[in-house]
Amino acid sequence: MAEVEVRDLTKTFGRLTAVRGMSFTAPAGKVTGFLGPNGSGKTTTLRIVLGLVREDAGAALIGGVPYGRLLRPRQTVGAMLEATGFHPGRRARDHLRVIADAAGIPGRRVDEVLAQVDLTSAARRRVREFSLGMRQRLGLATALLGDPRVLLLDEPANGLDPAGIAWLRGLLRSQADEGRTVIVASHVLSEVAQTVDHVVIVSAGQVRFAGPLDEIGSTNNALESAFLKLTAAAG
Amino acid sequence: MLPLIRSEFRKLSTVRSPWLLLAAGPVLVVAGVTGLVQSGGNVHDPATAGKALAHVALAALFTLIFGIFAVAGEYRHGTVTDTFLSTPARGRVVTAKLAVYASAGAVAGLACGAVALVVTAAWWSAKGGSFSFSAAGSWRILAGGVAVNAAFAAIGVGVGALLRNLALAIAAALAWIALVEGIAGQLVGAGLARWLPFSASQALGRANLTGTARLLPQWGGGLVLAGYAIAFAAAAMVTTLRRDVT
Repeated sequence: MAEVEVRDLTKTFGRLTAVRGMSFTAPAGKVTGFLGPNGSGKTTTLRIVLGLVREDAGAALIGGVPYGRLLRPRQTVGAMLEATGFHPGRRARDHLRVIADAAGIPGRRVDEVLAQVDLTSAARRRVREFSLGMRQRLGLATALLGDPRVLLLDEPANGLDPAGIAWLRGLLRSQADEGRTVIVASHVLSEVAQTVDHVVIVSAGQVRFAGPLDEIGSTNNALESAFLKLTAAAG
Repeated sequence: MLPLIRSEFRKLSTVRSPWLLLAAGPVLVVAGVTGLVQSGGNVHDPATAGKALAHVALAALFTLIFGIFAVAGEYRHGTVTDTFLSTPARGRVVTAKLAVYASAGAVAGLACGAVALVVTAAWWSAKGGSFSFSAAGSWRILAGGVAVNAAFAAIGVGVGALLRNLALAIAAALAWIALVEGIAGQLVGAGLARWLPFSASQALGRANLTGTARLLPQWGGGLVLAGYAIAFAAAAMVTTLRRDVT
């Protein structure tokens, strides 16, 4: 199994230091909540972990290896980012097949993940006809396509109805219970409190807290209070 | 590399817009040949047939824009993130795109060539002339035209990768061909102007638009255009490898 480790990570865009000396580990077999206000460096950190953005200093490793050196990236890490887009004229199934081709994933996985996210009936429709919730589920299907050991999800519940949110919670739980590493970045603290084992709170490019949710307390209020306190102080 | 090439072909075959764009090529050829004949082209002069067939090279304008979509289109639709997540070795992605788009460009050129032959032969017989394939030097013109299409597709991939913004890349390419190269040519003088990319393509495709421009020989145009394609591809490779995808 593969844990995700971020070590002294630093990234500056022009005059803006987005990430400064960030360090944390997301353990295997647990759901880790990655929390932080807008502009906290959360998204930048995730993009560095995924090799989309190059760090100025430090390291981001998956099972001890940077993303760019993974032999089979999609089979190791499944990512769902907010900025990921779809060609509006392409059918959902073809979107997944394009990725399966490039990543060397067998074609039957496409139908398997479509069934897993309940998009089988919409598989032949073009993405421009999809609602937000359907796009989110297609993004989730993309992340699951390679049956990866690590799941990295940014606001996965966005646009899902209550049944979908409950289903997602169950999915993340079962993935973690199988020993996979699950990282969920989210603003919805009440949902996070119900789902995660481990919490990393960041603001202004640095880690403010990293540890089991139990240390904060798992009631809604406990997480929210801790979050606001930790992220306000840093400014 | 093979899985990447398969993926790039599937990207093209699963949407309609690139094909609509390429379909404009044969339409341009029909219009161009028809215009040539209707405006008094002499069907008894083999050189006129040559001018008709040379429209294949001119249709490469659409192939250029087609190539620009390769990378810039992915940025536009946000699919570039998934592409680089699947293949963090970005140089291989650019290589696969160059191979696939240049091949598609060549096929587009062949389609335009076939259409050009048919339309030219049809007009010639309608106007009482006889179209002679060899007298018109057709092989050289059509081969050159196909090569221009392939090269422009590759150059388009490079331009799109460098600029990343789809609308900007298309506007820049069109502005260059329509206006900027002409002005640049005047600045550097006629001797050097023929080394500029559009002039080189006119030499390769034997498509001397004005009939008065000094052009390189056909093989020279081919080498120069290949050089531009390699230069743009290399620049695209370097920038794509280094840049952050935010």
